[in-house]
Amino acid sequence: MRPIQPVYISGTGAFLPGAPISNDQMEDHIGRVHGRAATVGRRALRWNGIETRHYAVAADGTPSHSNAELAAEAVRRAADSAAVALNQLQHLAAATTQGDLLVPGHAAQLHAELGCGPLEIASFQSVCGSALMAAKSGFQAVRTGEARQACAAASELSSRWFRPSFFEGADLTGRKGHVVLEAEYLRWTLSDGGGAIWMADTPARNGVSLRIDWIDIISLAHQFDPCMWAGARKADRHDLKQSWSFSGPKAAFEAGAIALQQDFTLLKAIIRAWVGVYLQKVDEGRIDPASIDHLLVHYSAQSLREEIISLLENTGGMIDEARWFNNLKTVGNTGSASIWIMLDALFGARDVKPGERLLAIVPESGRGLVGFMQMTAVGPDGDV
Amino acid sequence: MASVETLSRPDLNQSAPLQTVMRKLAIAWTEFEARLETTPLVRKLNRGQLTLEEYQAFLCNLRQQVVEGACWISRAASNISEDYFELRSTLMQHAHTEHRDYHMLEADYVAAGGTLETIQSAKKNIGSEALSAWMYHQASKPNPFALIGAMWIIEGLGSQKARDWGKAAIKQLNLPEDAARFLIYHGENDVEHMEEFQQMLAMMPLDDALIEDIVTCARVTGRLYALQLEEIVHA
Repeated sequence: MRPIQPVYISGTGAFLPGAPISNDQMEDHIGRVHGRAATVGRRALRWNGIETRHYAVAADGTPSHSNAELAAEAVRRAADSAAVALNQLQHLAAATTQGDLLVPGHAAQLHAELGCGPLEIASFQSVCGSALMAAKSGFQAVRTGEARQACAAASELSSRWFRPSFFEGADLTGRKGHVVLEAEYLRWTLSDGGGAIWMADTPARNGVSLRIDWIDIISLAHQFDPCMWAGARKADRHDLKQSWSFSGPKAAFEAGAIALQQDFTLLKAIIRAWVGVYLQKVDEGRIDPASIDHLLVHYSAQSLREEIISLLENTGGMIDEARWFNNLKTVGNTGSASIWIMLDALFGARDVKPGERLLAIVPESGRGLVGFMQMTAVGPDGDV
Repeated sequence: MASVETLSRPDLNQSAPLQTVMRKLAIAWTEFEARLETTPLVRKLNRGQLTLEEYQAFLCNLRQQVVEGACWISRAASNISEDYFELRSTLMQHAHTEHRDYHMLEADYVAAGGTLETIQSAKKNIGSEALSAWMYHQASKPNPFALIGAMWIIEGLGSQKARDWGKAAIKQLNLPEDAARFLIYHGENDVEHMEEFQQMLAMMPLDDALIEDIVTCARVTGRLYALQLEEIVHA
């Protein structure tokens, strides 16, 4: 066994396609189902607090990028930021909720798009939490000495899923002929983008790098039914033998089993479970709230942030609000890509100094999961 | 002995022991909620598969538990020493607020197609027996502060779960809303109970040993409550 090698994030990259789209433009941009305005729209936007977002599909349905291209652009930017040539890359881990193709995996499409290699790849398909799964893959590869340069990318092209063609002709109609809330809300929340972190066995030659202290990913899927899913009707999503591929794509679409959906009642229990896992980490001493200088939480809605804060204040788990950093309002919720887009923006917005500690928290409603990544800022010599 | 004045309305300005016990109770709650979610009864309710017979059986068991609720809170109050006069007073008020609640459950049961005689004469299942015995055992101790851990679990059911359960049951069984008033009513009222709860905690002499006892009581109560549900609908 080789000794455990410290791992440094020596570069970050973010890519948001096209111009920002405002709240007033968004419904005409993604398209109106049956040509009608959605009733939940304004309420959803108030709840999530998003003001602008980006889409890789134009209003007329023409794509500007594939999902793999969004990831590839983020990887190129991360390599530039780390000042490393792409052909140095040895391990490429890719995360997404849904790749461009059903088969093969996202990492293969991303690798093809980048054109460097040959190299080792790993695909992680989940929801937001897939970002940290890919990060852990790269982290382990460098830590064990199997790779000296690794990259974890995450990208989403959610807006494909929100076009009217995903709903018209499907049994997803609720009261007064509108799309059911379970499917409609996400249309107003998720948007497109890519993010990446570059990991290496040495810090960047210039500026600040982030030493990865640890990555913990905790799944609670043994406790919950799917909370955010696609591929099954709401009523029988717990029974995988009724999922989309058994009835075939046409019948599944018509039954309303293809659209991405969210169960809001279950979400409340899952939010409490996420906070419970966090408090457990505080209780065990794994996380020391007072020691965190920069906190990055991927939350999907501003209102959720407020709910969580009151709970944390009562339980000694609160990290001073001045230390929170977030750009949800302007870049939208880009799912798995969010955490890296946020980390990339942190360096532009704040002067991160050697010795400071960062904590990234990525909850995933999917089937109940929450991941944490703690980092310490270091200078070019690796010192804090 | 501290005067009543100094003990009343304690400062909730988040002392470290109060934060510690709230943190550990929040963790105990999520452990409990996770177990609840995997009980066959709650799984069926969440999946829209509950039968009318199962809902009726649920109300029957709930009634036997709720009847006892006000009684064990009263017993606990009677065991609180004069040093904690204000806490005793709060518990007595709490018992008074709750001690007619089971009438509502009986009415719900009748609205759900059952008869008054059936729900009034129903026996506790073995989970309810264990839960009840545990509550009286705790309540019978001198200054039974740890029992607040049990109240945390029971109040949490009211504020976090009852309303959703009630709404889900009437929707999937096509029942009128007055067949789930107890569950829905609790969801709407227990937010105030939670504030009262923190006030009670702040009145207690919180040290490490008591915090451990409170959290253990919460965990045992949660486990026995889940057992009660497991005995209504078996896997």
